[in-house]
Amino acid sequence: MKKLIVITLLLILGFYLMSTFISVPFGAERIAGVKDYYLKQSPETLKVSNVVTAIVVSFRGFDTLGEVTVLFLASTALGSILYRRRTHHSGLNPQREAVVSSTLVRTGAKVLFPMIILLGAYVFVHGHLTPGGGFQGGAIIATGFLLILISYRKFFINHNVLTWVEALAGTTFVLIGIGGFIFANQNNFLENFLPEGTLNNLISGGVVGIIYIAVGFKVGAEITGILDTLLTIKEAGLNPDEN
Amino acid sequence: MQIFDYIGYFLISVGAIFLFLGGLGVFRMPDFYTRVQAGTKASTLGAMSIILGVGVLQPEWFVKTLVIVIFLAIANPLSSHALARGTHKAHQKPIVKDEKIEDAYEIAEHKAEEKNIK
Repeated sequence: MKKLIVITLLLILGFYLMSTFISVPFGAERIAGVKDYYLKQSPETLKVSNVVTAIVVSFRGFDTLGEVTVLFLASTALGSILYRRRTHHSGLNPQREAVVSSTLVRTGAKVLFPMIILLGAYVFVHGHLTPGGGFQGGAIIATGFLLILISYRKFFINHNVLTWVEALAGTTFVLIGIGGFIFANQNNFLENFLPEGTLNNLISGGVVGIIYIAVGFKVGAEITGILDTLLTIKEAGLNPDEN
Repeated sequence: MQIFDYIGYFLISVGAIFLFLGGLGVFRMPDFYTRVQAGTKASTLGAMSIILGVGVLQPEWFVKTLVIVIFLAIANPLSSHALARGTHKAHQKPIVKDEKIEDAYEIAEHKAEEKNIK
């Protein structure tokens, strides 16, 4: 009986899905209009040379705000699940400190860390000009911190600072969005209200570049926090009296 | 300008040959340690000279390629050092035909540990 109901419901759902998709013609004449609009509008009106960034941050900026929120929720959920297993006093894990990485790795990490951070910053600052952007740049920055974390076991990341960076970056995103309501010509959320500048320059695209810098900071702080949380957890069952 | 083109193409061909040899080494060598040394040495030189060759061909990219080359020169040997050290710590034995060959590093570490215990 149960199976019959499930099959019937699936058939009804499938029928309606099919009837919707059948009405979309093959050959994509209808999609071509949207594509042409994006390709035409992003260099001309927005002055953003990277069309992908123009779509992600400007045309579908609200969607990106949602994605950033999803990432924030994921890191919060991970933190709250793993919080009980963390060492509370200093945030350091004796197990982790016992493993010593070699002198070469430690020295190399010291040299490579600024270069990785520079690359990450370059990627998210040039998000509206070259491939890449806030998410990618943030991930690169987090790998730099991961390198430091695995080579210096006693390196301590202050989670309050991470939280503040995250919160400020997220607030900047939302404030720019609200600024679109107030200052822009068309009064839409996330509408551009700054001067567009010239195409292919670093300062161009209005709010797109600023939003991607905020996203870069936010993603970098979040992924660094996740990695640090994962590295500071104790192995379950090792210290039964603390749980 | 012609001479710079030749230098650039020469560097790129050298890099391609060394990358090929590195890939062959990883494929042909018997155990982890010999594989990691084949992969590291050949592919570091190969990648560096290919990127430098691109920088010579496109002079406006030269500074950027130089930064990438420095990064590779540090990061590539470092990562394989960490891999090899981790493998050694995990007591992975290399393949040796002569049984008399001893692992001096392991013996030294063992002695140091014994000293610490005493």
